[in-house]
Amino acid sequence: MKLRVQYMAQLRTVIGQAEEFIELSDGSRLSDVLIQLAARHSVARSHLLTDTGQPRPSLLIIINEAAVSARDAATTELRSNDVVTLLPPIAGG
Amino acid sequence: MRELPELTPDELGRYEWQLTVRDFGEEGQRRLKNATVLVSRIGGVGGTAALQLAAAGVGRLILAHAGDVRLNDLNRQLLMTTDGIGWPRVESAMRRLRELNPHVEIETMNENISEANVAELVRRCDVVVSAAPLFNERLLMNREAVWQRKPLVDSAMYELEGRLTTVIPGRSPCLSCLYPEPPPNWKREFPVFSAVSSTIGSLAAMEVVKLIAGLGEPLAGRLLTFDLRDMSFRKVPIARQSDCAICGSL
Repeated sequence: MKLRVQYMAQLRTVIGQAEEFIELSDGSRLSDVLIQLAARHSVARSHLLTDTGQPRPSLLIIINEAAVSARDAATTELRSNDVVTLLPPIAGG
Repeated sequence: MRELPELTPDELGRYEWQLTVRDFGEEGQRRLKNATVLVSRIGGVGGTAALQLAAAGVGRLILAHAGDVRLNDLNRQLLMTTDGIGWPRVESAMRRLRELNPHVEIETMNENISEANVAELVRRCDVVVSAAPLFNERLLMNREAVWQRKPLVDSAMYELEGRLTTVIPGRSPCLSCLYPEPPPNWKREFPVFSAVSSTIGSLAAMEVVKLIAGLGEPLAGRLLTFDLRDMSFRKVPIARQSDCAICGSL
């Protein structure tokens, strides 16, 4: 299945692009997306995953128009054509 | 509940153009006059929020921000002035706000939010605007606001993006529901145009006015995000986390 991934804030800066399309096998979970992206963009790994390879708890994730906690990434199943927006924490004041 | 103060003829004249806002009126203005708002840091975001709240006629502002005005503050910190370089930011801010609206009581503290001052500062306010550039300050402010059941407007930006949510303790997710760990990658220095920080600061001020005056629908349980590169705004529902270390037990 094909997904559209949008990068916001520092992720956009370190990856150097605003979005991309990725291919995943049917039945993939949100955690699979984060693992694949971390492998593809090693500079962004610490934004996406913890040192132990778990989804980064402070990463905000929106799938289509619903926020999903990174803590639920392993149980969140994706469907073809979903739009996954990744928002790293920001605190500019 | 405190009795609402009357408006003087000068105040009625000053606020004439906002008194006609639907669901606001004189009672809303008196509620603003009766309220105290704490603003944590008065940089690009918090300074603009303070400016808007002073213009709107909030009765009392408590401003907390350590340090002196620097040259590179001036691209975004609208309460600071060139002749204030080298002087405390809070002094510059107080001068600007008093020039704008002498009816507003301004209390300043040349300190950032810390364990030593947060409880007392939150105790003395009705609403918090959280706009510090460091997560440890934001998470500390969130913790104290939740513990004291005070509403908090969290306003943040990066480059051309902004994010805003309103925390109503016990009813809507708090900042620790969103960020259960201090984010390891955030750096204090961030790219910023004043037009972006001022936008998020103005939106935060509007949330405060709504909360105090009982106007409209605050952003509780929703996160507003915007990206001014393509002028996209979106609002997504966000959920409380039952295992949140700060608000999970409320």
